[in-house]
Amino acid sequence: MRNEPTLLSAFGGLGWGVRFTEGAAWRRPMVNVQDVYKSFGSVHAVNGVSFELRPGQIAGLLGPNGAGKTTTIRMIAGFLYPDSGRVMVGGHDTMDSPAGARRRMGYLPESTPLYPEMKVREYLHYRTRLFGMARAFRRKAVDFALERCWLTNVASQRVGTLSKGYKQRVGLGAALVHNPQVLILDEPTNGLDPTQIRETRELIRDLAKERTMLLCSHILPEVERLCDRIIILAGGTVRADGSPADLTRLRGAKYVVQAREGKLGESDRLLKLWQSLPHVEDVQGRKPSPTAGILGSPGWTEWVIGAKPGAPDIREHIWNAAAQGGIALRELRAETPTLESVFMRVLEEAEENAPAPAAPKAPLAPEHKEAAA
Amino acid sequence: MISVLTIARRELSSYFRTPSGWVIIALFLLLTGLVFGRFVLVPGRPASLRDFFAVSGWLLLPVAPAISMRLLAEELRSGTIETLLTAPVSGAGVVIGKFIGALTFLIGMLAPTGVYVLILERTATLPLDMGPILSGYLCLLLTGSLYLAIGTLASSLTPNATLAFLMSLFTILALMLAPAAAEFLPVAARPVLFAVSVSDRIADFAKGVIDTSHVVFFVTLAVWFLVLAACALELRRWR
Repeated sequence: MRNEPTLLSAFGGLGWGVRFTEGAAWRRPMVNVQDVYKSFGSVHAVNGVSFELRPGQIAGLLGPNGAGKTTTIRMIAGFLYPDSGRVMVGGHDTMDSPAGARRRMGYLPESTPLYPEMKVREYLHYRTRLFGMARAFRRKAVDFALERCWLTNVASQRVGTLSKGYKQRVGLGAALVHNPQVLILDEPTNGLDPTQIRETRELIRDLAKERTMLLCSHILPEVERLCDRIIILAGGTVRADGSPADLTRLRGAKYVVQAREGKLGESDRLLKLWQSLPHVEDVQGRKPSPTAGILGSPGWTEWVIGAKPGAPDIREHIWNAAAQGGIALRELRAETPTLESVFMRVLEEAEENAPAPAAPKAPLAPEHKEAAA
Repeated sequence: MISVLTIARRELSSYFRTPSGWVIIALFLLLTGLVFGRFVLVPGRPASLRDFFAVSGWLLLPVAPAISMRLLAEELRSGTIETLLTAPVSGAGVVIGKFIGALTFLIGMLAPTGVYVLILERTATLPLDMGPILSGYLCLLLTGSLYLAIGTLASSLTPNATLAFLMSLFTILALMLAPAAAEFLPVAARPVLFAVSVSDRIADFAKGVIDTSHVVFFVTLAVWFLVLAACALELRRWR
C-alpha cells in the first residue's frame, strides 16, 4: 500500500496527537520501522527496511555513503514520510499521529543546523516551548541540558560565535532538552576534538541508560564501543543486524593453527584433516609469519581454518583431531573478526555483481584490535 | 498554540538581531517622513494623510517581500527546517507562526508613523477627520497581510531568499496590474482580472470607505496563500 499526501496532512492529519496504540509502554518497541521504502525520483534510497528498537537499547546504524542511513533516520524523525511502510515511535505513527511521535523524540540532524543569532540558553528555551513543555519544567530542563552538554560557560553567548565543537554540543543539548524517550543522533561526534569525542561518548552512554538511542556514524570503533546493537545498511536495505558479538560470531570465526607434518599443497594430509572437521568452511595454508615464532623452522606450517557462520568454537575439535593424528601443534588461536572486517564483508556480499576476494581486510588500527579483544 | 506563538516570537526577535530589520524600518520611516514633511505638512493644505497612505501603499511593494523573503527560505537554506519540522508542530503551525511574526514586525514598522497623526492634529486648525486615517491604516494592514502571505508562500518554495523576494514582488505586481492587462486578454478573463485587482480596492480605502467585501477579499486571499504555503512545507516530507 502506498502512502499518499492529502490536503489534511498539511495540518497534521486527523489524529493530531490523539491516537495511541494499546499495550504496556515498557513492553512495546520504542521505535518500530516496518518495511519502509523511500525513493527520490528514480533513486531508490531505502528499499524495505524493517527493525525494532526496544526501550533502553543503543543501536548503531552503519553503512557506506549513500546507503540510505540519513534517509532512514529522517523517516524515523518524521522529517520525511515513507513512500510505503510505517514508522512508529513510542507507539505513535509518524504520519497518523505526528505530534505524539515527535514529542517523544530528540533528533540531532547531520549538519547540526542552528540559528546563529540566538543565544545558547535562549535557543534551548525556544526548543522547550516548541515541544510544549510546561512552564514550570522549562527552566530546569534548560539548566539540565546546559550542564549535561558542558554548555554552562557559553550559555549567554550567541550560537553563531561558537566553535564547531560547541555548536555540536548545542545541537545535542537541543535534541535532549525536552527529555525525549528516543534520541536519534546523526554523526554526534562530528567535528569534535578527541577529548570532546570521549566526553560525548560518555554522555551518550549515560543518556542511554534511560532512553532508546539510534546512532548514525561511520566511525566503526565508536559504534562498537557505544552500541549494543548494530544495523548495517547498504543499498537501502538491512544487510546485518545484531549485537556486535552476534555479528562477529555469525560472520564465522577464523582459527590459526601452526602444525608440524606436511607441506603446503593440495594433496596435503593436514589440509584434508582440517577439511574433515565439523563446521569448517574453508582452509588455507600459509607460511608462518616472521613474527609468529622461530623463522623458517623446518616442518612447521600455518593454517587458517574458517568456521561456518554461527558455528560454535571448534578449537577443541582441532586439538582432538591433531592429537589423534599424531600431529604436533604449537599454536592454536581463534581470530574473531573485528567489526571492520565484518562491515567490509557485509558490503562485499552486498555488491553482488562485483564479487570481491574472500579474504577480509587484515591490518587494523590498534584501538580497534583492543576493542575486539 | 504555544508552539505557534513560540515560532512567531523567535521570528520577530530575529528581525531585530540582524541589520536587515532595522534597515527596513529606517528606510520606510525615512521615505514616509520625507513625504510627510514635504507634501503633507504644508501650510494652507487640508489636514489629510492621503499622500502618506498612498506612498506607504507603494512602499509595501518592495518592503513586504523583503520582510517575508527569509521566513522559510532561510530555514531551508541553513537546514534548520529539519529541526523545525521534527518538532511537534504541523506545517500549518509553522507557517502561521512565521506569518504572525512577520505581521507583527510590519505593525511595529507602521507604529512610529502614528507620530505623523499626532503632529498633524497639533498643527491643524480644524479637528482631524479620523475616518480616512483609520481606514488608511486598515488598508495598509490588509494589503500588508496579503503581501506577506504571498511572500510566505514564495519563501516556502525556495531556499533562495532573493528568488523568494522576486517571486513575491512579481506576484504582487501582477495582482496590482491585473486590470491593466485586461485589454490584452480574452473577454472571458476580464471579470476575474478585475476581481483580483488590488489597486481598485486600495483606492476605495483611500477615500475613507471601508467596504466589507474588500476586507473579506484581502483576508481570504491571504488565508489561501498561507494554506498553499503550509501545503508546500508539508509536501517536503513526501518528496
